[in-house]
Amino acid sequence: MKSISKSANKTLNISRYPEIRPGTKLIKKGYVFVMLLIVGRAIEAAAKVDESVKKIFADLPDRFTFYLGVAPGGPYMVVGKDRDGNVRYHGWNLHGKKIDLGMKIKNIESAIKVFTFQESTAQAFAYDRFIVEGNLPQALAVVRVIDIVEVHLLPKVIAGLAVKRYPKWSELSPVKKHLNRVRIYLKSFSPGLIKVIYRNL
Amino acid sequence: MFMPGFYDFCCRAKTISGENAIEKIPGHLAGLNANRPLIITDKGVEGAGLIDMVRDAVGDELQIGPVCNNVPVDSDYKVVDEIAGIYSHEACDSIIAVGGGSVIDTAKGVNIVVSLGGGSLLDYQGAGKVRKRLNPLAILPTTTGTGSEMTLVAVIADPDRHVKMLFTSYFLLPDLAVLDPRLTKTLPSFLTAATAMDALCHACEAYYCMEKNPMSDVFALRAIRAISENLLHVVKNPDDTQARLELANASTMAGVAFSNSMVGMVHNIGHTIGALCHVPHGSCMSILLPYGMEYNLHRRAGEIGELLFALGGPEMYAQTRRTDRPEKVIELVRRLNQDLHDATDGRHPRFLKEIYNSRGEQMVPQSMLPEIARNIMADGARVYNPEELLPDDARMVLEHAWEGTALDRRKIKRGGKK
Repeated sequence: MKSISKSANKTLNISRYPEIRPGTKLIKKGYVFVMLLIVGRAIEAAAKVDESVKKIFADLPDRFTFYLGVAPGGPYMVVGKDRDGNVRYHGWNLHGKKIDLGMKIKNIESAIKVFTFQESTAQAFAYDRFIVEGNLPQALAVVRVIDIVEVHLLPKVIAGLAVKRYPKWSELSPVKKHLNRVRIYLKSFSPGLIKVIYRNL
Repeated sequence: MFMPGFYDFCCRAKTISGENAIEKIPGHLAGLNANRPLIITDKGVEGAGLIDMVRDAVGDELQIGPVCNNVPVDSDYKVVDEIAGIYSHEACDSIIAVGGGSVIDTAKGVNIVVSLGGGSLLDYQGAGKVRKRLNPLAILPTTTGTGSEMTLVAVIADPDRHVKMLFTSYFLLPDLAVLDPRLTKTLPSFLTAATAMDALCHACEAYYCMEKNPMSDVFALRAIRAISENLLHVVKNPDDTQARLELANASTMAGVAFSNSMVGMVHNIGHTIGALCHVPHGSCMSILLPYGMEYNLHRRAGEIGELLFALGGPEMYAQTRRTDRPEKVIELVRRLNQDLHDATDGRHPRFLKEIYNSRGEQMVPQSMLPEIARNIMADGARVYNPEELLPDDARMVLEHAWEGTALDRRKIKRGGKK
């Protein structure tokens, strides 16, 4: 009897449970992987093009690095500031990187809801779909960056589903928006993309 | 009827409420194998005689350990570490926290260190670090607003880095919340007004913000009704213990509601004003609540209108057309603020420009509004507000709240009907 209660006590420690990784849903994982790659590259590009994104990253600590991904086991995207303060997309591999902030969507089904824009990022937060490991204000800054990037990347009809409020003309003029969009797409799919993919393979 | 696609709800702190509730603590602690509690409080609470009253109520049946009365206005990790050292040295086995939000957060922090080991609270920073059951903790709230006895969060400052650290875990929920009218009897009227308005704000924002769920709704509506029926009465009749008990219950119920539904822009802006201008939290909440409702009205008119049943009573609800109910709710909150202002001889502020410190200095100068607006982005409550709130929007709201004028609805940027 004593040994049973002793082993029960041991199993109550949830840190001892191994992470169980589902082996299937490859198409959904592949879709989210591609979306994270696009968003990651777009964040790097937006940090050069968009003043708000530039300012948000400037306010974050030097060498700040975060990942956004899906639990358990990914896919992930890692983005961070290099020693010169430039924002870089570091690919999908977490190994060997010093991470300051981790943001995981709890499972692939929830990630699909977010990345197919059935749910806005804020709604996903409200439905408790995110696990944040690190500083909350920094996580909020990253969410704001993702919202701005989505406005630049997506047409209004889709971006309107992803963010709480699509920017009014007074906040972002259509000319500036379209110019930024072109610049972000060009920078995202520049030869640098191949370099990142190569480094992560 | 609103039903979210997903929600989670947790309320597992045992509540004991009523006359002589404090006398029940020894029995409950005995059920948790504890009989030597450390008492954590602040000098104001001790000075009001509440610790002596708690000692008298439980003294014979418990071996009460030291009383730590050095909790500052903002909980501080150094004080947490110091009290944790006393707890271990004095071989205590549980904690009784008697006080407001700062005392309760400090007690939660102490419980982390003494239960999980380690030298400092700093070892447990960040989400997911507290993963084991903690030692028995009983909370005796002495204000009628924080609701911290029902939340899974502790906010504790690091004065060296000038940051407030957030500790979040379901294990931070106490084992016992004790609501006894004697605990709030010495609370001055203007503080009763401010803290109860804080509780009203918890309940209202829980009801109309984005993480709203049916279980929190029940707690929120009951809390709003209790505050609406009793707050002004208690401010005018401070010795009515039954009404005080109703308010204490309302605060706890609002705590359950907002702990599970989160809060929105009223807390977002209020936290920022508090951090920059050191304004009492309850005062900010009471001033900003009608503005939060006005700002979100185009998205949450239905939910805000439903609050009229609890706030104004069934007769007023039935007599008011459905389309007029949201405006009526905003009007009632403003009228309650005005009545409290009159009943406290002006000590309950109605606008930001009316908040003064004990030296008679204005605490929120108009020149601070741009800086407050810029800093709202770092607060988590922003995410749960139904309408997007950016610094320009916050500035517009702040200017109206400072002057005491209703929002110019044409200036609200509307994001749609989601």
